[in-house]
Amino acid sequence: MPEPTALRVNGAETTVTTEPRTSLARVLRDQLRLTSVKLACERGECGACTVLVDGVPRMSCITPARLVRGEVVTAEGLGEETEQLRGAFADHGAFQCGFCTSGQLVHAAAILREPLPAGEDREAYVRQRLAGNLCRCTGYNGLVDAVCAVAERRR
Amino acid sequence: MSIGDRLRPIDWRERSRGTVAYTADLAAPAHLHAAVLRSPQPYARILDLDVSRAERMPGVRAVLTHRDFPPDALYVHRGGPLSDRPPLARDVVRNVGQEVAAVAADTREQAEAACRAIRVRYRPLRAPLTIAEALAPGARALHERTTGERNVAVRWAADWGDVAAGRAAAVYTVEGSFVYPSVSHAVMEPNTTLAAWDADREVLELWTSTQAPWFIVKEVAHLLGLSREQVICREVAVGGGFGAKSKISEHEVLAAALARKAGIPVLLALTREEEFAANKPRHRFETHLSTSVDADGRIRLFEADIRVDNGAYNHMGSSVMRVGVITLGSMYRPDGVRFDARLVDTATQAGGQFRGYGTPQVSLAVESQVDELAERLGIDPIELRLRNLGDEWTTTLCGYEVTTNRLGACLEEVRTGLDWDRRRAERVPGRGLGVAVGMHGSGAYAYDFANRSDAAIDVYEDGRVRVRFGGADAGTGQRTILAQVAAHELGVDPADVDVLSMDGEQTPFELGAWSSRGTHMTGSSVGQAAREVAATLKDLAREKLGSREVVLTGGHAVAGEDSVPLGDLVRLSPDSRDGVLSHETSYVLEGTEMLTPDRDTANLSPTYAFAAHGAEVEVDRRTGKVRVRDYVAAHDVGRAINPTLVEGQITGGAVMGIGAALGEETVREGGRVVNSAYVNYAMPRAADLPRIRPVIVGGSDPNGPYGAKSVGEMSIIPPGAAIVNAIHDAVGVRIRVLPATPDKILTALAEQEGRVRYFGIWRRPDRWWVALVRWAYPRGLHFVLHRWGTRFGPGVGAQGPETTEELLVAESVGDAVGALAEGGAVVGGGTDVLTEARLHPHRPSRLVSVAEVTELRSLWRRDDGAVEIGAAVTLAELAAGLADTAPAIAAAVQTIASPQIRNAATVGGNLVQAKRCWFFRNGFPCYKRNGATSPCYALLGDHRFQHAAVGAHRCQAVTPSDLATVLSAYDAEVVVAGPAGTRTVALADFYTGPGETVLGPADVVVRLVLPAAALRRRGVFEKLALYTGDFSTASVALTAAVDDRGAWTDVRLVLGAIAPTPWRLSTVERALAGTTPSAAELRRLVDAELDRHGHPLPGNVWKLDAVAGLAETAAERLLTTEGVLR
Repeated sequence: MPEPTALRVNGAETTVTTEPRTSLARVLRDQLRLTSVKLACERGECGACTVLVDGVPRMSCITPARLVRGEVVTAEGLGEETEQLRGAFADHGAFQCGFCTSGQLVHAAAILREPLPAGEDREAYVRQRLAGNLCRCTGYNGLVDAVCAVAERRR
Repeated sequence: MSIGDRLRPIDWRERSRGTVAYTADLAAPAHLHAAVLRSPQPYARILDLDVSRAERMPGVRAVLTHRDFPPDALYVHRGGPLSDRPPLARDVVRNVGQEVAAVAADTREQAEAACRAIRVRYRPLRAPLTIAEALAPGARALHERTTGERNVAVRWAADWGDVAAGRAAAVYTVEGSFVYPSVSHAVMEPNTTLAAWDADREVLELWTSTQAPWFIVKEVAHLLGLSREQVICREVAVGGGFGAKSKISEHEVLAAALARKAGIPVLLALTREEEFAANKPRHRFETHLSTSVDADGRIRLFEADIRVDNGAYNHMGSSVMRVGVITLGSMYRPDGVRFDARLVDTATQAGGQFRGYGTPQVSLAVESQVDELAERLGIDPIELRLRNLGDEWTTTLCGYEVTTNRLGACLEEVRTGLDWDRRRAERVPGRGLGVAVGMHGSGAYAYDFANRSDAAIDVYEDGRVRVRFGGADAGTGQRTILAQVAAHELGVDPADVDVLSMDGEQTPFELGAWSSRGTHMTGSSVGQAAREVAATLKDLAREKLGSREVVLTGGHAVAGEDSVPLGDLVRLSPDSRDGVLSHETSYVLEGTEMLTPDRDTANLSPTYAFAAHGAEVEVDRRTGKVRVRDYVAAHDVGRAINPTLVEGQITGGAVMGIGAALGEETVREGGRVVNSAYVNYAMPRAADLPRIRPVIVGGSDPNGPYGAKSVGEMSIIPPGAAIVNAIHDAVGVRIRVLPATPDKILTALAEQEGRVRYFGIWRRPDRWWVALVRWAYPRGLHFVLHRWGTRFGPGVGAQGPETTEELLVAESVGDAVGALAEGGAVVGGGTDVLTEARLHPHRPSRLVSVAEVTELRSLWRRDDGAVEIGAAVTLAELAAGLADTAPAIAAAVQTIASPQIRNAATVGGNLVQAKRCWFFRNGFPCYKRNGATSPCYALLGDHRFQHAAVGAHRCQAVTPSDLATVLSAYDAEVVVAGPAGTRTVALADFYTGPGETVLGPADVVVRLVLPAAALRRRGVFEKLALYTGDFSTASVALTAAVDDRGAWTDVRLVLGAIAPTPWRLSTVERALAGTTPSAAELRRLVDAELDRHGHPLPGNVWKLDAVAGLAETAAERLLTTEGVLR
């Protein structure tokens, strides 16, 4: 049965309507119009729907909305924190078609909140961390470079 | 100046945040949602099609069948006798997934439910599913064709040059058969159309994911009986194309017809499963080639027999085949080429256009054989290619009039970039270097008007400029390139240039982005339009400033000290309307020739791009796994208008090509796609790759706009051969059938090393029944079970009306058990429940979440040293919690799925997850899904990676949990709560079958216990997977206590994904106890056990070698400090 469900999204309390199997991604897109959350597989396999739940990256397309506890942040809700990163995305060719980009951005923002390994290990680490975010355009060079460059600048 | 600048994409701010709207993001116009009913049969007559029940379903607004189109309605595609595809199946279906009906309803779920309510009666026909089957004597024809050969849609055979001279000059000849399989574009944005019909104006508006709106308008107008003026595309963001969206698919027409019928706008978005299984993949090529050289290594002759899998309908197969064949007559300078090519109809999804367009397929054969000849001649592969370079400003055998050619410079860049000479000489075991080259046009004169591009420029009073062009930018950066061109010609800042594309009312004629034509055609037309506007502005400025010498710069017209803003000139112009000076122009390309069926040669393109790619790979001889260590991609693109965008095209294409070389492949069984999900499609993930190193060799082509040639498709051509050549250099194995997956390499290595296994099934009575059934499967048993047995089952896929559902959040274990006692299913991290719900015929009406039960959420170390892990601890928490206590477990966890999944998935959920067999998961009515009278599809289907090679019975699947494997080696115990209370089960006794456990319907896993003694042992986990985060193809967990003298005691050796359940090798453990085994000794013992118990399927014998190899590596690691726990 449809039920009202309380969510905290991008800093605002909101109430949405859900069925038991309504995904978080569907709620964010269809009811809250947060269309940076992309549906590319709806199986939790590509990362285009990545959002943060209490700062932790999650696949929103397979997350039942009613089971979400904590603050949800989408690309729309990442403000100044990602200014530098988005510029680096553009400079390094981190996106082409842009469809996976908001998911990459959200995940990269979470990665950059933690200290990253220095030196040669950094790139391998970033590649591992982003292994759940598929991109078919760029071959990942630009994404990895952008994240590493921002990490370097923040040191 | 903006040509040559590394300008950011013009809309980078919006695109990097995800705020540009793709078709599925559009809220307006308010719309219905559509779903498509597709054929489950590869080839069948439709006896009856009844939609009456669907039409009465809730929310349904329109149901579409072939009756809504004229009886002779066909897509035009290439036109003439090649047109053969109806918008919806009429009396026959020719592939699984063909569109039979479409429904528009208020919600997608309603549309899907209505599709399920449509009754179709099929009479199956014997379906030719492969090229070999289609050409076999007695094959059933799919279409009436004009070639005179059954199931051959097009045949093209000819000689180029002097074949006799080539044959006479030949000293060495190599011959071989190569296969480039069907691969998927796997575009991130699924194909989507939003259509709106205005009944008053009789105008159709379309927002659609396309690279070429012109072709959409052409086909939609044709099939809906409208004029082209009545069909208007609107600009919308497009999420990747790679050819998939460069011509019409089917969703566009279906959405349009539904919108007209319903009188309400309709959105039709393909699902990911439809993208993989019903959209148009790359054409599979089977290329039999012989290449001859003279004693100096000059290539003298190519002779080829090429068979192209067309699929069930002519889409672009005829031209893909021609462009593929042209590879033989364009790249090198042979005396002659002889070819005989057939486009073969099969009852599978139609092939379509895909980046490279036939060239990667034939290049694989050519560039592999050039390497074989280099070896035969004892000449370095780069050197041999340099000897055979084509000339500049020359005409090739296929009629190409080549302009600039800097392939030699590309090869030198590979040589220096990879430190080729030194690394080739070093010969590090398992490592190898490979090179391959390629060539691609910059556009193709493939259609009427393909040599023409129109463009328009608007200059506004505020000095801003707008480019209008009728193509679409699916992500290549074409809009940014055009802004740079306009800025360059008009002397304005690129930031002051806007670009409008795709709009049927506002943008002029343009055929779109395909055949790598974007930069040449629209770069030329926009440049021309801007130059013409610039001339007008200069005339106005001359009048205003009274000077003859006027330049446009900085947004002004400047004459000496005087200047005037461009916007002021717009005001002065008598041609300005409403404050805008607009100009439209038409660029016509001279000198290219159209390739028509009556001619064998043509100069298709104004310029030709070249590239050389070099790869260094490392091949694990124990598992067959290939890792790319280094990759240099050197390109002759003429002049790069935006080097960052060019490098992006190089890197992206190279990685897509590497994916096809090493893992990607559309797998089918009975005509149905098996791997219709990213999880089953081994396209590269970030962690699978090294940094790709793109190199632009520099140059400028006088025939290209601003010196530019193409790049978009060029980059996907060399990787296939570069990788297989490197593999051959590394381990001496020549892979001719892509992808070069571990099974093929390890099988070839086994032959090379003389490894043979004997299983002695006749001595094992417990396997006789299984062996008998396996024997009977290809002899009719499979056919009977599939054709008739499956009818007794409930079917696969969500069915019937939606049931009322509830989701309970348990607060205690007692809560959960109590709730489950009344039926339902446990939800842990919730990573599988929504996906499974789409596939499961009888989904439970009650879900019980245990993720918030405090008792299940803790991970702690007891005083006695044992560790208790709550069942609802996430995998990420487990990895963090055990990083010091049991690093082998933590490391194993890090190989599971993706970081996002590990953040949600729970330990309990991982252990009890259902099998991951791709037949079971992806919609096959198998015995486990559909009941006892249904077959196991793995027996005759592709079982190379996911199925058991030991101990399987009726179901060939394995337990997918890596955690189960590694925790078994730590003597883990599972604490289970149920209606009868709490009990403890050894993990070794927990599994009863593949992904099946001892749990009763109301049982809940509470926690795992790892005994202190086990945690004191050393441990390692080794896993073979097709990509980072994939489920194990094979895995090994090994733990042992190692004393001061190095002797092993308390050994546990568990093999994963090899038997239905984690398989502990107790015999080996006992034999090892008290010894200090070498890795080789351990492997010998494992091999003996594998021979004693192995009962593999024909395609997974190699997994036994692979798992033995993993065990050997695990032993090596255990012997080093790496395996020490603390």
